[in-house]
Amino acid sequence: MIVSTDHLSKWYGQVSGLNDVTIAVPRGVTGLLGPNGAGKSTFMKLVTGQLRPSAGTLRVFDEPIWGNPSQYRRLGFCPEQDAFYEHMTGRDWVQALAGLHGMDDAAAAAAATRALATVDLLDVADRKIGGYSKGMRQRVKLAQAMVHDPELLVLDEPLSGMDPLMRRRTIRLIRQWADGGKSVIVSSHVLHEIEAMTATIVLMHNGRIVAEGDVHQIRALIDAHPHRVSIRAADPRALAKRLLVDDDVSSFRFEGDALLVETGNPDSFYSRLTEIAASGDAGSIEEVTSPDDNLQAVFSYLVKQ
Amino acid sequence: MTTPLLASTRRVFELTLGQMLWARRTTLLALAAAAPVLLALVTRLTLSAGSAVVQINGRQIGSEAVFNTAMTLLYLRFIVPAIGVFYGTSLIADEVEDRTITYLFVRPIPRGAIVLGKYLAYVLCVTAVVVPSAAVVFVVMVPFPDMAPLFGSFVRGLGVLALGLAAYGAVFLWAGTLFRRPLVGGLVFVFGWEQLAAVLPGYVGRLTIAHYLQADTISVAVLLAATVAALWLAMRTIERREYLLER
Repeated sequence: MIVSTDHLSKWYGQVSGLNDVTIAVPRGVTGLLGPNGAGKSTFMKLVTGQLRPSAGTLRVFDEPIWGNPSQYRRLGFCPEQDAFYEHMTGRDWVQALAGLHGMDDAAAAAAATRALATVDLLDVADRKIGGYSKGMRQRVKLAQAMVHDPELLVLDEPLSGMDPLMRRRTIRLIRQWADGGKSVIVSSHVLHEIEAMTATIVLMHNGRIVAEGDVHQIRALIDAHPHRVSIRAADPRALAKRLLVDDDVSSFRFEGDALLVETGNPDSFYSRLTEIAASGDAGSIEEVTSPDDNLQAVFSYLVKQ
Repeated sequence: MTTPLLASTRRVFELTLGQMLWARRTTLLALAAAAPVLLALVTRLTLSAGSAVVQINGRQIGSEAVFNTAMTLLYLRFIVPAIGVFYGTSLIADEVEDRTITYLFVRPIPRGAIVLGKYLAYVLCVTAVVVPSAAVVFVVMVPFPDMAPLFGSFVRGLGVLALGLAAYGAVFLWAGTLFRRPLVGGLVFVFGWEQLAAVLPGYVGRLTIAHYLQADTISVAVLLAATVAALWLAMRTIERREYLLER
């Protein structure tokens, strides 16, 4: 097991962030699925040694991680927050962080180039991060997490804000990473994203693990609830026209430059959306996000069971 | 195995120097360093033109005394503490506030190296600006024939400036590891408490950094001890503390 916890809890004062979690995370890709506030980020911060457990034990590679920085040689972390040294170029930033792994300048430069190539950012590597799009910022975060070629990648909502094409590429990248014998723990509040990366999922809700195991068992529950997607596009009306051709869209409305879509068949919908984005027929698609209230409904249902 | 402390410190130092060049506070530092130079130039030109003389209590005072006054009033009582507060508090607290500290925390380095690397970058950066500024003021204010006999006290004065920057920076760096927004508290300390303690009778004045920077009570040992102690406390704090990054 790559990560194991025993009755792990984390409290922020009187507020519980994680509650009595016992889990063994196997090698390979494991998806953490849950709505905002479920405890995914708290779990990831504990696994990456940024928080100290309030109770219980946590072992990563069979060693504690809090106060044990040597573990970071084997672990890479891509945080959720959109925070950067904006004035630095992507290359300088990733290289500087590689240098903190004990690499000399030449090795750090080579590692940074490799990582930036892996996330398809080499062409803009010498531009300042402050000028990057949301998708580029997500990818440069991924690059800094993989720059030292860790055995375990911990990715907190890595697909958030990416356009459909970049989502597809990033999902492929994560799968390839795992195919190389490495492990990934990835969080999302969108089932189909997790499902595209792995069948091993952990469902979290209110700081607890509600279920763990194979993704297919909860598919039916998720599909029973309409799925809402927000798409920021250059031409939302043209996009709406294209999307309405098929019957997987049950309703839509405009909100500024965003199109809010409700679909009963997320798989078909996302597949079509990726094709439309690739063709460019409906103008550029800048960002796709999925509010988690649909997932929240499923979790409420699960908890009631 | 973690990257050794010195190697990690060097990497953080390099990263921080780059950040400081782009920080908004650099503008403040440049202004702080340029203001006394401009003031000195104006004073020098005015004195040379003979249109005015600097007088205190009816006595005309020389440019050497003006320089010494500038060192005490402008640099030691204002510029050095202000820079110490603004820069020192920002070194760690800004990374926490901006939520970029995560990228440093998830590296195989002792967290203390983050404190040391950032502190050394601060010392180099501010000393490289403030000390030359004071040197220019000296050259402008003191007539050439008077420079040689005053050179010893001039160099000593520059040393005091460097010590003050080091001590204030270390203390406020420690504050930055403890508090999320330490700037206001730091300003209250240097421009409230230190000013008040200076006029209170007894030993209260000794509970300030300013006390040990004054010509008659200077203590290199105390300043160095305060610097080392503050750095040690900052390293200890950052090693043990959880930083909850707000969304």
